[in-house]
Amino acid sequence: MTPITFWYGCNVLRHGDIIHACLDILRALDFDALPVGGPDYCCGTVKDANQTAAGGMATRTVGRFNALQRERVVAWCPSCHSHMQEFMGRANDMRFAMTYLVDLLYANRARLAPLLVHPVPMRVLLHRHLGFNEHSPVNRVVPELLRMIPGVEVVEDDYRVPGYMCASLQAVPGAIDDMIAATLRAAKASGADAVVSIFHQCYRELCGLEAQGAIPVYNYIHLLARSMGLAYEDEYKAWKKAGDGAALLIGTERIARVGVEFFERALLPELKKRPLIPKL
Amino acid sequence: MTDKLPGAARAAIGARLKAFEQAETERILSSCTRCGKCFEVCPMTGYSKAPAAAAAARDVVGGVLTVLRGVQGSPEALGWIAVCCRSGICVPACPEKVDPQMMMRLARMTALGGRGGAKQIAMREDPDFFDRVRAFAKLQLSDEELKHWT
Repeated sequence: MTPITFWYGCNVLRHGDIIHACLDILRALDFDALPVGGPDYCCGTVKDANQTAAGGMATRTVGRFNALQRERVVAWCPSCHSHMQEFMGRANDMRFAMTYLVDLLYANRARLAPLLVHPVPMRVLLHRHLGFNEHSPVNRVVPELLRMIPGVEVVEDDYRVPGYMCASLQAVPGAIDDMIAATLRAAKASGADAVVSIFHQCYRELCGLEAQGAIPVYNYIHLLARSMGLAYEDEYKAWKKAGDGAALLIGTERIARVGVEFFERALLPELKKRPLIPKL
Repeated sequence: MTDKLPGAARAAIGARLKAFEQAETERILSSCTRCGKCFEVCPMTGYSKAPAAAAAARDVVGGVLTVLRGVQGSPEALGWIAVCCRSGICVPACPEKVDPQMMMRLARMTALGGRGGAKQIAMREDPDFFDRVRAFAKLQLSDEELKHWT
């Protein structure tokens, strides 16, 4: 097996099923993937307002990757990947190569294809952004990966959302509402059965659509995993759909791990948040 | 994992990052002709708190360059900087290959006060950002996974 570091990032920790599925897919492709992420492996991109802090975080993370002595770091998060390319790598001594996960999957598509045995009959609208494609041509490549799944049909249209990932839109008043409206318009016009995201932050936003009963939503990894027979429960979506009832699904034991006060103050509002569904 | 670099090594890396950002700033300032194409193609300009017409694109870009020089930018320039979401379509639109995406990123860092100057735009900080990530990790990963993966 080829040893790699799988750098999943921070916010995808909301989606343990995606992380676990990625690891299974990588192992099935003969990669010995060592997963690392979370705040202790932050790239520093969230600290634009403090470049000293951002630089320190990046230096710590690059140092940790160097210490792992693996030749390749495969990134899940587009923010981490692009920040590494544009800034972290300019100042730090990186003793590893960087690859974006989609590119690795695409490069190994000949090995991936025979593993996609279970049909997933679904006509999908791929949630595509304008940005990030200079780092990895995800808008072209992810549809090709999805079309390897028996039964999946990917809508071809001009739907493109500004920014590189929905996280960047969250700070701009009105931008998420416009994204939601554009997504629903495109889904309706194309007759899609579901919306499929490439990135986790988009998935988090789009889950609200399914919670509202507007349209089913998945990440592309979910569909690859389903076709491979990997059955991880998408708990985040279940919690999102449950809203106030999320606490019951999570259970008192797990909530105690994060603290009831913090859960109610910082997690539950996110799970209850719903997008504005426009009249089409 | 031990990941403490000696202070001198950390300082050297910090200095290299600053030098890179400064070199990029100078390259952009010397190569941008203020043609305004980057502003014209940007899908986010309509979200600015101080929107400018496409006809004023040259002035808005000039304002961004002013911010890069460390000087107070115009409301229109700061409004555009604040809503840049890295769509990146400005990059191929630039006839001088300035890399307007890098221009806007550096301008944003500068306007936020991140490069040592005065803060010109506000950023909504989420004080729970990392704690929320850690909390979701505790809900989703096993103790063994938390210990070895995070």
